[in-house]
Amino acid sequence: MNTQTQLAERNTGTFACNGDAQAQKGPAIVPAVDIYEDAHGITLWADLPGVSRDRLNVHVQDGNLFIEGQASIDTPDGLRLHHAEIREPRFARAFSLSADFDISKIDANLSDGVLKLSIPRREEARPRRIEVSIG
Amino acid sequence: MSDLLFNTNLFDELDRFQRQMSSAFSGLPSSIRASRFSTFPQINLGSTDDSVEIVAFAPGIDPAKLELTVDKGLLTISGERTRVQSESEGRSYAQERFVGAFRRAIELPRDADPDKVKARYASGCLTISIGKREASRPRTIAIQ
Repeated sequence: MNTQTQLAERNTGTFACNGDAQAQKGPAIVPAVDIYEDAHGITLWADLPGVSRDRLNVHVQDGNLFIEGQASIDTPDGLRLHHAEIREPRFARAFSLSADFDISKIDANLSDGVLKLSIPRREEARPRRIEVSIG
Repeated sequence: MSDLLFNTNLFDELDRFQRQMSSAFSGLPSSIRASRFSTFPQINLGSTDDSVEIVAFAPGIDPAKLELTVDKGLLTISGERTRVQSESEGRSYAQERFVGAFRRAIELPRDADPDKVKARYASGCLTISIGKREASRPRTIAIQ
Protein backbone atom coordinates (compact mmCIF):
# COMPACT_ATOMS: atom_id res chain seq x y z
CA MET A 1 0.00 0.00 0.00
CA ASN A 2 2.94 2.31 -0.37
CA THR A 3 2.81 3.13 -4.04
CA GLN A 4 0.68 5.99 -5.12
CA THR A 5 0.36 6.84 -8.72
CA GLN A 6 -1.61 9.50 -10.32
CA LEU A 7 -4.03 8.31 -12.92
CA ALA A 8 -4.30 11.23 -15.20
CA GLU A 9 -1.81 13.81 -16.23
CA ARG A 10 -3.10 17.21 -15.49
CA ASN A 11 -2.95 20.05 -17.90
CA THR A 12 -2.71 23.15 -15.75
CA GLY A 13 -3.77 25.44 -18.54
CA THR A 14 -7.20 24.00 -18.93
CA PHE A 15 -10.17 24.79 -16.83
CA ALA A 16 -13.33 22.79 -16.95
CA CYS A 17 -16.48 23.67 -15.12
CA ASN A 18 -18.84 21.23 -16.76
CA GLY A 19 -17.93 17.59 -16.53
CA ASP A 20 -20.45 16.05 -18.86
CA ALA A 21 -18.77 16.98 -22.07
CA GLN A 22 -15.35 16.19 -20.72
CA ALA A 23 -13.42 13.17 -21.85
CA GLN A 24 -13.15 10.27 -19.45
CA LYS A 25 -9.44 10.82 -18.88
CA GLY A 26 -9.46 14.56 -18.52
CA PRO A 27 -7.69 16.58 -15.86
CA ALA A 28 -8.32 15.39 -12.35
CA ILE A 29 -7.78 16.35 -8.75
CA VAL A 30 -5.91 13.97 -6.48
CA PRO A 31 -8.25 13.60 -3.51
CA ALA A 32 -6.84 13.79 0.00
CA VAL A 33 -6.88 10.43 1.78
CA ASP A 34 -6.35 8.95 5.21
CA ILE A 35 -5.10 5.37 5.25
CA TYR A 36 -5.06 3.28 8.35
CA GLU A 37 -4.19 -0.36 8.83
CA ASP A 38 -5.00 -2.73 11.66
CA ALA A 39 -5.11 -6.49 12.06
CA HIS A 40 -8.28 -6.80 10.00
CA GLY A 41 -7.17 -4.84 7.00
CA ILE A 42 -6.92 -1.36 5.61
CA THR A 43 -9.40 1.44 5.97
CA LEU A 44 -9.18 4.33 3.55
CA TRP A 45 -11.05 7.61 3.68
CA ALA A 46 -11.07 9.91 0.67
CA ASP A 47 -12.48 13.40 0.39
CA LEU A 48 -14.72 13.56 -2.66
CA PRO A 49 -16.91 16.63 -2.23
CA GLY A 50 -19.79 16.91 -4.66
CA VAL A 51 -19.50 13.34 -5.89
CA SER A 52 -22.73 11.39 -5.77
CA ARG A 53 -22.91 7.62 -5.54
CA ASP A 54 -23.80 7.05 -9.17
CA ARG A 55 -20.88 9.19 -10.32
CA LEU A 56 -18.33 7.37 -8.21
CA ASN A 57 -16.38 4.48 -9.65
CA VAL A 58 -14.26 2.30 -7.39
CA HIS A 59 -12.69 -0.70 -9.03
CA VAL A 60 -9.79 -3.09 -8.71
CA GLN A 61 -7.89 -4.13 -11.78
CA ASP A 62 -4.59 -6.01 -12.00
CA GLY A 63 -3.89 -5.45 -8.34
CA ASN A 64 -4.55 -1.73 -8.50
CA LEU A 65 -7.33 0.04 -6.73
CA PHE A 66 -8.84 2.92 -8.67
CA ILE A 67 -11.03 5.62 -7.20
CA GLU A 68 -12.63 7.91 -9.74
CA GLY A 69 -15.43 10.36 -9.19
CA GLN A 70 -17.13 13.15 -11.00
CA ALA A 71 -18.35 16.06 -8.92
CA SER A 72 -21.57 17.75 -9.85
CA ILE A 73 -23.06 20.73 -8.13
CA ASP A 74 -26.40 22.27 -8.95
CA THR A 75 -25.79 25.81 -10.07
CA PRO A 76 -28.25 28.23 -11.59
CA ASP A 77 -28.11 29.02 -15.28
CA GLY A 78 -25.94 31.87 -16.40
CA LEU A 79 -23.39 31.45 -13.63
CA ARG A 80 -20.15 33.35 -14.13
CA LEU A 81 -17.28 32.01 -12.08
CA HIS A 82 -15.19 34.67 -10.34
CA HIS A 83 -12.93 32.69 -8.08
CA ALA A 84 -12.23 28.98 -8.09
CA GLU A 85 -10.11 26.87 -5.80
CA ILE A 86 -11.52 23.61 -7.15
CA ARG A 87 -11.09 23.77 -10.89
CA GLU A 88 -11.61 20.28 -12.20
CA PRO A 89 -14.80 18.45 -11.36
CA ARG A 90 -13.05 15.08 -11.56
CA PHE A 91 -11.26 13.20 -8.80
CA ALA A 92 -8.93 10.29 -9.53
CA ARG A 93 -6.41 8.34 -7.52
CA ALA A 94 -4.94 4.87 -7.72
CA PHE A 95 -3.19 2.60 -5.26
CA SER A 96 -1.50 -0.72 -5.71
CA LEU A 97 -2.82 -3.47 -3.49
CA SER A 98 -0.70 -6.33 -2.29
CA ALA A 99 -1.94 -9.89 -2.58
CA ASP A 100 -2.65 -9.97 1.16
CA PHE A 101 -5.97 -8.26 0.64
CA ASP A 102 -9.24 -9.88 -0.22
CA ILE A 103 -10.47 -7.74 -3.07
CA SER A 104 -13.78 -9.58 -3.26
CA LYS A 105 -14.72 -8.27 0.18
CA ILE A 106 -14.01 -4.58 -0.21
CA ASP A 107 -16.71 -2.52 1.40
CA ALA A 108 -17.36 1.00 0.14
CA ASN A 109 -19.51 3.62 1.76
CA LEU A 110 -20.02 7.21 0.63
CA SER A 111 -21.50 9.79 2.95
CA ASP A 112 -21.30 13.59 2.94
CA GLY A 113 -18.66 13.52 0.25
CA VAL A 114 -16.33 11.16 2.11
CA LEU A 115 -15.67 7.71 0.74
CA LYS A 116 -14.79 5.04 3.27
CA LEU A 117 -13.26 1.87 1.90
CA SER A 118 -12.66 -1.18 4.05
CA ILE A 119 -10.24 -3.60 2.48
CA PRO A 120 -9.96 -6.76 4.58
CA ARG A 121 -6.93 -8.99 4.68
CA ARG A 122 -7.22 -12.52 3.48
CA GLU A 123 -7.92 -14.94 6.27
CA GLU A 124 -4.53 -16.60 5.82
CA ALA A 125 -2.74 -13.23 5.84
CA ARG A 126 -4.11 -12.14 9.20
CA PRO A 127 -1.68 -12.04 12.06
CA ARG A 128 -2.04 -15.02 14.34
CA ARG A 129 -0.50 -16.20 17.48
CA ILE A 130 1.20 -19.55 17.43
CA GLU A 131 0.99 -21.55 20.57
CA VAL A 132 4.29 -23.00 21.65
CA SER A 133 3.93 -26.33 23.31
CA ILE A 134 6.40 -27.61 25.81
CA GLY A 135 7.53 -31.05 25.00
CA MET B 1 2.57 14.58 3.59
CA SER B 2 3.33 12.85 6.84
CA ASP B 3 4.19 9.68 4.99
CA LEU B 4 6.61 11.41 2.67
CA LEU B 5 9.83 10.04 4.07
CA PHE B 6 8.52 6.53 4.40
CA ASN B 7 7.06 6.50 0.98
CA THR B 8 9.13 4.80 -1.65
CA ASN B 9 7.54 6.86 -4.35
CA LEU B 10 9.05 10.19 -3.43
CA PHE B 11 9.06 11.56 -6.94
CA ASP B 12 5.38 11.01 -7.38
CA GLU B 13 4.77 12.98 -4.24
CA LEU B 14 6.99 15.84 -5.38
CA ASP B 15 5.32 15.80 -8.73
CA ARG B 16 1.94 15.98 -7.12
CA PHE B 17 2.99 18.79 -4.86
CA GLN B 18 4.30 20.78 -7.77
CA ARG B 19 1.11 20.25 -9.70
CA GLN B 20 -0.95 21.42 -6.79
CA MET B 21 1.17 24.53 -6.40
CA SER B 22 0.96 25.42 -10.05
CA SER B 23 -2.76 24.86 -10.10
CA ALA B 24 -3.12 27.24 -7.22
CA PHE B 25 -1.50 30.09 -9.10
CA SER B 26 -2.48 29.63 -12.71
CA GLY B 27 -5.65 30.16 -14.64
CA LEU B 28 -8.14 32.57 -13.20
CA PRO B 29 -6.98 35.82 -11.65
CA SER B 30 -6.86 35.27 -7.94
CA SER B 31 -8.23 37.62 -5.35
CA ILE B 32 -6.05 39.67 -3.07
CA ARG B 33 -7.66 37.71 -0.25
CA ALA B 34 -6.91 34.37 -1.89
CA SER B 35 -5.10 32.19 0.55
CA ARG B 36 -2.47 29.53 0.19
CA PHE B 37 -3.15 26.07 -1.06
CA SER B 38 -4.57 23.52 1.36
CA THR B 39 -7.01 25.87 2.97
CA PHE B 40 -10.14 24.18 4.14
CA PRO B 41 -12.79 24.32 2.90
CA GLN B 42 -11.91 25.27 -0.63
CA ILE B 43 -14.30 27.79 -2.10
CA ASN B 44 -15.62 28.60 -5.53
CA LEU B 45 -17.46 31.83 -6.08
CA GLY B 46 -19.61 32.95 -8.97
CA SER B 47 -22.59 35.11 -9.71
CA THR B 48 -25.64 35.29 -11.87
CA ASP B 49 -27.80 38.31 -12.63
CA ASP B 50 -29.96 37.59 -9.57
CA SER B 51 -27.61 36.08 -7.02
CA VAL B 52 -24.13 35.46 -5.76
CA GLU B 53 -23.32 31.75 -5.55
CA ILE B 54 -20.68 30.31 -3.24
CA VAL B 55 -19.72 26.66 -2.95
CA ALA B 56 -17.56 25.48 -0.05
CA PHE B 57 -16.10 22.01 -0.54
CA ALA B 58 -16.33 20.70 3.00
CA PRO B 59 -16.81 16.93 2.96
CA GLY B 60 -17.51 14.90 6.05
CA ILE B 61 -18.88 17.57 8.34
CA ASP B 62 -21.91 17.38 10.53
CA PRO B 63 -24.13 20.23 9.23
CA ALA B 64 -25.01 21.06 12.83
CA LYS B 65 -21.36 21.96 13.40
CA LEU B 66 -21.22 24.38 10.51
CA GLU B 67 -21.74 28.01 11.29
CA LEU B 68 -22.53 30.62 8.71
CA THR B 69 -22.68 34.31 9.53
CA VAL B 70 -23.01 37.52 7.55
CA ASP B 71 -21.77 40.67 9.19
CA LYS B 72 -21.14 43.99 7.44
CA GLY B 73 -20.79 42.36 4.07
CA LEU B 74 -18.44 39.66 5.30
CA LEU B 75 -19.63 36.07 5.05
CA THR B 76 -17.93 33.72 7.48
CA ILE B 77 -18.00 29.94 7.32
CA SER B 78 -16.66 28.19 10.38
CA GLY B 79 -16.83 24.76 11.89
CA GLU B 80 -14.80 21.80 12.89
CA ARG B 81 -13.95 18.48 11.33
CA THR B 82 -13.09 15.64 13.63
CA ARG B 83 -10.96 12.63 12.86
CA VAL B 84 -13.08 9.55 12.41
CA GLN B 85 -10.77 6.62 13.07
CA SER B 86 -9.65 5.45 16.45
CA GLU B 87 -5.93 5.58 17.10
CA SER B 88 -5.88 2.61 19.40
CA GLU B 89 -3.94 0.07 17.38
CA GLY B 90 -2.55 -0.38 13.95
CA ARG B 91 -0.65 2.14 11.90
CA SER B 92 -1.44 5.09 9.79
CA TYR B 93 0.01 5.42 6.30
CA ALA B 94 -1.49 8.68 5.15
CA GLN B 95 -3.17 11.57 6.90
CA GLU B 96 -3.80 14.09 4.20
CA ARG B 97 -7.35 14.99 5.07
CA PHE B 98 -7.93 18.18 6.99
CA VAL B 99 -8.71 17.83 10.70
CA GLY B 100 -9.56 20.56 13.16
CA ALA B 101 -11.35 23.86 13.36
CA PHE B 102 -11.61 26.05 10.31
CA ARG B 103 -12.83 29.50 9.46
CA ARG B 104 -13.05 31.25 6.15
CA ALA B 105 -14.32 34.71 5.42
CA ILE B 106 -15.50 36.02 2.09
CA GLU B 107 -16.15 39.63 1.29
CA LEU B 108 -19.50 39.85 -0.42
CA PRO B 109 -20.07 42.15 -3.36
CA ARG B 110 -21.87 45.34 -2.46
CA ASP B 111 -25.01 44.38 -4.28
CA ALA B 112 -25.49 41.18 -2.28
CA ASP B 113 -28.46 41.31 0.07
CA PRO B 114 -27.63 39.77 3.47
CA ASP B 115 -31.33 39.22 4.13
CA LYS B 116 -31.61 36.80 1.23
CA VAL B 117 -29.14 34.06 2.09
CA LYS B 118 -29.94 30.42 1.43
CA ALA B 119 -27.55 27.65 2.40
CA ARG B 120 -27.68 23.95 1.76
CA TYR B 121 -25.30 21.12 2.64
CA ALA B 122 -25.35 18.12 0.31
CA SER B 123 -22.75 15.45 -0.51
CA GLY B 124 -20.01 17.36 1.23
CA CYS B 125 -20.64 20.71 -0.45
CA LEU B 126 -22.04 23.74 1.26
CA THR B 127 -23.88 25.76 -1.36
CA ILE B 128 -24.70 29.34 -0.41
CA SER B 129 -26.90 31.51 -2.55
CA ILE B 130 -27.20 35.20 -1.76
CA GLY B 131 -29.79 37.26 -3.57
CA LYS B 132 -28.85 40.59 -5.08
CA ARG B 133 -30.61 43.80 -4.18
CA GLU B 134 -33.41 44.74 -6.49
CA ALA B 135 -31.77 48.03 -7.35
CA SER B 136 -28.64 46.36 -8.64
CA ARG B 137 -30.25 43.95 -11.07
CA PRO B 138 -29.60 44.64 -14.71
CA ARG B 139 -32.51 46.30 -16.42
CA THR B 140 -33.22 47.73 -19.77
CA ILE B 141 -34.22 51.33 -19.88
CA ALA B 142 -36.98 52.26 -22.24
CA ILE B 143 -36.02 55.00 -24.62
CA GLN B 144 -38.67 57.63 -25.14
